[in-house]
Amino acid sequence: MKRSELQNNLAMTIALISAAMLFVTLFMGYAVYRSSAEAWPPVGMAHVSLTLPFLSTIFIAVSSWFCFQVKNLVAINDLKRANRNLNLTMLMGVGFMISQSFLWLQLKESGIYVTSGIFASVMYGFTWIHAVHVIGGLLALVYLKIVLRPKTNELLQKTINVERFWHFLGIVWFAMFMGMFVF
Amino acid sequence: MSGGYNEIHPEPTTFWSKYIISFDHKVIAKQFMWYGIFFLGLGGMMALLIRWTLTYPGQPFPIIGNLLFPHSAGVVPPDSYAMLFTMHGTIMIFYAITPLLIGAFGNYCIPLMIGARDMAFPMLNMLSFWFAFLSGIVLVASLLLPLGAAAGGWTSYPTLSTMIGSPGAGQTLWCVAIFLFGVSSTMGAVNYVTTVITLRAPGMGYFDMPLTIWGLWLTAILNAIFVPVLGAGVILLTMDRVMGTTFFLAGASATSGSGDPVLFQHVFWIFGHPEVYILILPAWGIVSDLLSFFSRKPAFGAKSTALAMTAVTILSTLVYGHHMFTTQMSPLLTQSFMTLTMTISIPSAIFFANWLGTIWKGSIRFDSPMLFSLGVVFVFGLGGLTGLHLGTVSTDIYLHDTYFVVGHFHYTMAASVLLGGYAGLYFWFPKMFGRMMNETLAKIHFWGTMIPLNGIFFGMLMIGYGGMHRRIYNPFVYESLQRLIPINTLVTQSAILMGAFQIVFVINLIWSLYKGKKAPNNPWNVGTLEWTIPSPPVHHNYDVIPVVKCGPHELGNPNLKNGRDFQYQTEELVQGPA
Ligand code: HEM
Ligand SMILES: [Cu+2]
Repeated sequence: MKRSELQNNLAMTIALISAAMLFVTLFMGYAVYRSSAEAWPPVGMAHVSLTLPFLSTIFIAVSSWFCFQVKNLVAINDLKRANRNLNLTMLMGVGFMISQSFLWLQLKESGIYVTSGIFASVMYGFTWIHAVHVIGGLLALVYLKIVLRPKTNELLQKTINVERFWHFLGIVWFAMFMGMFVF
Repeated sequence: MSGGYNEIHPEPTTFWSKYIISFDHKVIAKQFMWYGIFFLGLGGMMALLIRWTLTYPGQPFPIIGNLLFPHSAGVVPPDSYAMLFTMHGTIMIFYAITPLLIGAFGNYCIPLMIGARDMAFPMLNMLSFWFAFLSGIVLVASLLLPLGAAAGGWTSYPTLSTMIGSPGAGQTLWCVAIFLFGVSSTMGAVNYVTTVITLRAPGMGYFDMPLTIWGLWLTAILNAIFVPVLGAGVILLTMDRVMGTTFFLAGASATSGSGDPVLFQHVFWIFGHPEVYILILPAWGIVSDLLSFFSRKPAFGAKSTALAMTAVTILSTLVYGHHMFTTQMSPLLTQSFMTLTMTISIPSAIFFANWLGTIWKGSIRFDSPMLFSLGVVFVFGLGGLTGLHLGTVSTDIYLHDTYFVVGHFHYTMAASVLLGGYAGLYFWFPKMFGRMMNETLAKIHFWGTMIPLNGIFFGMLMIGYGGMHRRIYNPFVYESLQRLIPINTLVTQSAILMGAFQIVFVINLIWSLYKGKKAPNNPWNVGTLEWTIPSPPVHHNYDVIPVVKCGPHELGNPNLKNGRDFQYQTEELVQGPA
């Protein structure tokens, strides 16, 4: 491996470990809240319907797949098709954000407000924190779109870094989906 | 992110690109240094205000009291007192020690001592400083708010730190500042770890690295893993304060369903215990090297020192519960944490013994960096021993939240890191600025720091053992504490004395910058890579990347024939006759 590749891979790995620790801490908190609660969701609050979270999962999974294609296409230097797949990645990412917004609306309509106690805190708070990261990820995709040109230095390395961050967000969402909505 | 890959970058030419938005690790190191020294002064002033209040309650603080507290005729009011100890702790830990030991020495030493031309990611390095800068501005700005700055202690436990305990924006800005600082630290950590792994000069194995680099590297690893934990904690705390969530609110203060204030303590200390080692590891590394350099002897058991530091790093992630023995955790847990805490003593004792082994029978040169290093050996030894009383559940129940704890962590953290930082500064100043510091003033500074320092912190241990609680405003009102007043007075007067002697340092620093004797390439006669090049180094450090052929501590080898008692790391190890 070239030294520059090694440096990039190492740095990206460490950065992702850092980001993961943030979410690990949130999950640890969640485990404490959930295991010490008498009932989850608390008495008088309905289970959150799975439809929207499921839709979010589909969006982010499909976008991850497109993102994977972007990298493969950049690797064989087919920037035209890479660009098309990048557009689809972003589209699916925006779809994810929209489905999340509907989720927040739905929570509000069913009488669960941000201030309604710990269940609501977790539902809103954690999805917000994740969503802020997704916005960061979308910005990274925009950056990639700007540099997706034959002349860019280390284009593949840059693509790989963005791709890894995007997959990371998908994995975190999947953990949230399973932990907070399914079970 | 794109890497530097050890190429020669063109030298910047404008003032702006040279000194402000600089990508040069040496300039960024100096930026962090001035930043740290500024906050060290600010935090130090706060300490004097705190001590004055504890010893002369109701009396106006001399000279600047009336300026700071015009409404109370120069007396520190109780609410300001809480802000002072909160900001003192926060500033010293995050804004003084971290930038000095990690920001300044990390940036300066890592590339130079491993034979690299810069960090792996110079731009990230620049961003790391400016995030820290922004964070500092937010923190200082919070002092000017109408309701004042954060006042919940540097640990910011809820409920003290929620809207109920701390109304006003001070605590919120505290969270924002800490988060920004965390981003800066994480960026630095990514850079340091990558640089050490990928940019070591050819021939330099991990055990050929100076121990300074070991310390900084382990610190960076801990930073990358644990700073985000605090990041998560302050995000949730901010949400509780700003958006109405109830992560850390319980009982009547939570509207329905209960959050958990103690959870914050867990989160804080999962970060917090590694954090104390984040702060001390660079100092350990520096001291381990300097003891060898100035004893003109190889570092005793250098490899085991490095491994012991690594063991401490790993164990430090498993002991955080010893800060929470009194939170009604189950005895099974307290005893497990106690056992793990005691386990850390083993590697600590190993490298401590190695330090003693290093100076044993050395031909010691008592130059100022050595004096400060020996100071660290003394104060860290004392601080470490007091840790045992606190790590033992049965004694901690009584000592928790007393001045004994305050004395303990000032010995281990404040005193050790301060002295270690000064040792490093006196040692690398010639390389950084190309001039020598004045040795006489440095020695006056050492004794003027070392003696009062022990008055302060040993005094704290004693009043804590005598039962004085930490964070109280006026010890005079408690009958049980009145017999401690003489010791309290000693502590305060020592603090004023020690503060006064820091002026000697500032004078020496400024004077030497402009008027100091020109420094030769290698004023201390040691063999690590940075001393093979001019003082100060050129922009790209090394014209030719050096090739390393031996370890960093090759001093006093009897086979040396060239009139030197040390050899450079670039020289083949001299062997005796077969
Ligand atoms: C040598 C082994 C050490 C042991 C066994 C130890 C043990 C402890 C224990 C049990 C406490 C909690 C006391 C209480 O609150 O009741 C404590 C507090 C503390 N220790 Fe240590 N410690 C050690 C070394 C260090 C070092 C090396 C540092 C820093 C560089 C350090 C910094 C601190 C700090 C900052 C606190 C208190 C924080 C606070 O409550 O505000 N300790 N230590
Ligand atoms: Cu601890």
